[in-house]
Amino acid sequence: MTERDPAISARTALAALGLALALALPLPLAAEDILLSAPGSQEPSFDPAPPPSLNFYGSPGLIDMPSAEMLPDAQFTTAFSSFGGQGRLTTTFQALPWLSASFRYNGIRDWNYGGFDTYYDRGFDVRVRLLSEGRYRPAVAVGLQDFVGTGIYAGEYIVATKGFDTPALSPGRLPGRLKLSAGVGWGRLGTNNSFGAPFGNDRPAYDPESTGGKVAYDQWFRGPAAFFGGLEWQADERWSVKAEYSSDAYNFETGVTSVFERKSDFNFGVEWQASESTRLGAYYLYGSRFGLAANIQVNPSRPPNRIAAPAPQPVAVRVPKVDNPLSWSEDWAGPAGAAAASQAAGQGAGQAAANRQLLRDLLQTRLSEQGLELESISLSADRAELRYRNTRYSSNAIAVGRAARVLAATLPNSVETFRLVPVRRGLALSAVTLRRSDLEALEFAPDASRALYAVTAIGEAAPLPPAGALGPVGSYPSYRWSLGPYFDPSYFDPDRPFRLDFGLSLSMTYEFAPGWLVSGNIRQRIAGNVKDGRPSNSVLPHVRTDQTAYAQEDTVLNRLYMARQWRPGGALYARVTGGYLEKMFGGVSAELLWKPVNSRLGLGVEANYVRQRDFDQRFGFQDYSVFTGHASAYLELGNGYLAEIDAGRYLAGDVGATVSLDRTFSNGWSVGGWFTVTDVSAEDFGEGSFDKGIRFTIPVNWFLGKPTQQAINFGIRPTQRDGGQRLNVPGRLYEQVRDSHAKALSDQWPRIWE
Amino acid sequence: MAEDLGMNGNRLMTRAAGALALLALLAGCNGGSGSGVNAAPPLYAQIAQATRASIAKNRMHRAERPPLTRKMLDEIEGSYIEVTLERPDIFAYLSAALVRRDGTPGEVVQWRTEDEVTLTMRNGMLIATRGLGGDLVSADVAVAEGVTGPASGGEKVMYVRTGDLEERRLVLSCDLADLGPAPVEIVELTHPARHLRESCTAEGAAGGRVVNDYWVDSRSGIVWQSRQWAGPHIGYMRIRRLTTG
Repeated sequence: MTERDPAISARTALAALGLALALALPLPLAAEDILLSAPGSQEPSFDPAPPPSLNFYGSPGLIDMPSAEMLPDAQFTTAFSSFGGQGRLTTTFQALPWLSASFRYNGIRDWNYGGFDTYYDRGFDVRVRLLSEGRYRPAVAVGLQDFVGTGIYAGEYIVATKGFDTPALSPGRLPGRLKLSAGVGWGRLGTNNSFGAPFGNDRPAYDPESTGGKVAYDQWFRGPAAFFGGLEWQADERWSVKAEYSSDAYNFETGVTSVFERKSDFNFGVEWQASESTRLGAYYLYGSRFGLAANIQVNPSRPPNRIAAPAPQPVAVRVPKVDNPLSWSEDWAGPAGAAAASQAAGQGAGQAAANRQLLRDLLQTRLSEQGLELESISLSADRAELRYRNTRYSSNAIAVGRAARVLAATLPNSVETFRLVPVRRGLALSAVTLRRSDLEALEFAPDASRALYAVTAIGEAAPLPPAGALGPVGSYPSYRWSLGPYFDPSYFDPDRPFRLDFGLSLSMTYEFAPGWLVSGNIRQRIAGNVKDGRPSNSVLPHVRTDQTAYAQEDTVLNRLYMARQWRPGGALYARVTGGYLEKMFGGVSAELLWKPVNSRLGLGVEANYVRQRDFDQRFGFQDYSVFTGHASAYLELGNGYLAEIDAGRYLAGDVGATVSLDRTFSNGWSVGGWFTVTDVSAEDFGEGSFDKGIRFTIPVNWFLGKPTQQAINFGIRPTQRDGGQRLNVPGRLYEQVRDSHAKALSDQWPRIWE
Repeated sequence: MAEDLGMNGNRLMTRAAGALALLALLAGCNGGSGSGVNAAPPLYAQIAQATRASIAKNRMHRAERPPLTRKMLDEIEGSYIEVTLERPDIFAYLSAALVRRDGTPGEVVQWRTEDEVTLTMRNGMLIATRGLGGDLVSADVAVAEGVTGPASGGEKVMYVRTGDLEERRLVLSCDLADLGPAPVEIVELTHPARHLRESCTAEGAAGGRVVNDYWVDSRSGIVWQSRQWAGPHIGYMRIRRLTTG
């Protein structure tokens, strides 16, 4: 056990690296970072004011103490700090302008207590702004630190902060800013020179043996309280100094164990803004230890590389009908009405069919150049319905615009109404109806986006193309394959906080008809240490905790399944999937979703019968099988908030519900969290008491700046247990459907002109 | 002895396999039929490619401009402008790809680079950009039929796409000043022009000031040279007309 000690900081740093990886990636790309606003630059700007600096807990603040500042809305930060053998890695999301939430992983060296020589723990914080800063009024915030979990850092505070401008260090430089903070702390933050317990004394001492996971609301603001305070002086846009008086006595670390020696109440530090997103700091804490901190701050709505698609070709404008009536003839589409009965009409119909095929061929080629695949085209003299798949753009509005431009450039002048139907794997998702003359008239008009939106209809698409629609030439069956790296992390093993497997992943997908597919994925591990993890100690069926057993083989069949998706009619979507659905389970899965295009509410049901796969992840199964399924409700709350409730039976046979809330951005970012409560008791569940976690989606184009649909997804649970676990079936319907529906299309509508 | 050899062989094989695997890791590859043609390359390959492109782009900024001569320009057919983005200091030559009229007064000209960036002007005033990122989606400018460049002061509205794909409306209150005759020399040719200056203040939270300059020749209806602001993300661009086709 002792050989772990020297490596702790390296390991904590590795964990930091893992978490920060996706965030750090933008850094080498963002070479054009402009650091704050240079003096004399007076251009109008959409950029928010520079964000506040962070403390050792990853919250806006001083060094070990918080301040009342809030991060800019939607700011996403990763902070690493270390002093006296204590490493803290915190990620914070400013979910609302007045509310932020943090998740922290920390390691304390030389703990030597309760069988741990190094103690690792996780915790959540939440901060709420009570008052924003005014001309004379300070900002005031209240915070709950480590309010679920075993509570090593549990503490609450109310803090006020006021900023003042200070003169520039030299002429031509930006003025500095001095920020004063003072507050009252409870819990850990009320242990040094306490002045009493204003809200009662019934707060139990920190108990390292507790399994945690309970929200400790009965302890908040109880027990002794103490004052803290300090100042931060930002001398210029790069340098600042900090000094504080700490109300944290570090009783456990200096009394019960001897993590470090606390000789002073005062801490000092210097910070340097290395780039727009990165800040580094060096500190001297508690009269005995040096400390270091590094922060990365990003904002989903401010990509390092602005997303730009290649400029589209201008909308082709038709000759006015009065100038050339012949070119507006409808004859190309064949004779209509009574004339169709005559003999000449027979010839005309043949010619019309040939015309349609010619147009179909042209459209297919031109759409393909734009990253769109023709599914079907239905043409009449004055209307066209195009069904297409978008294989390039993350935004469906831009795909609608590109498809409309292709139609305008290709179809005869008499076709006035364009009906565009995005299709994904056999599902017709919505129908956008545009007039060709509006496209021509509005392309260069002031406020073109709103003007076009006002004359566009977004509605339900029929499940199948109209009779007589032409399909593509040689599009089905189609297949695609890819070979690339994969990374499979495992977090928070008490022995080793971050484990990682990586290797090569080979995927193949074969679509033999619209909506039908066979897909498989084989993984070959190159290296990794997930296989050395701890065996499961769960008393429930081991539906998720056998990850170590599942990591023993280098070559595995990750997935192999057949799926069919279709529209049963109305606003309904359906899916049936069968095979080796995920790493740990195989079986059959069926899902039905009701989601009208113009509704913010979606309802779904999913039923699965699955059997646990063999640990070697080949074709065999183990004995454990289960019926699992959920009824789900999805609601778009506005401002990008997406709520989901799933109630039903989970993999371990437990019954309960999952509540999730995600903040989504039009550019594809999403940050959210979930918790699941089931009939499994906290004791049977084990550490953490119930399932919960946070998850992120970061679109690749956010830092590439080029159109691509790929995204990095990851979720983190403080502890992986067996209660409240859902099946990981590929291709759930709601996410396939939502971003082509009215709300998503209208949120990113301006991109129709890109 | 034979065992040793076998082991060495195995080791070699393992190493070769490892090297191959590492190469595949770095590159990634893909393929397929039909839609496969449009399938994006694997994620890590794209990241690697973008990093290289970003480095190359930064180097390109420092590249020297090729010397232009009128003799060279005379051999080129069509209308061309030279545009310099001030902030990253990059430049490009754009050709007139579209000239048309619509329901709004003024003549629309769309200029296009070879790498699919467009600038759209109405009577010489910038009304749209595409392909730069943070683009100007549309604009309401002080345009009047038969007047080259800005026709008056007053309100100017820019619709700018932001990082979250939403569009933000930026309202500028502008004063127009005629700074008098100021002939412009562009690659060995001097054109008669008047210097018009639009001085604008932004309303609302964005704050700040914008100054647009135009050197217009109302007789030929050409804006020979201008310096125009394309929004908070793109900043100022300098534009000069090289050839008139």
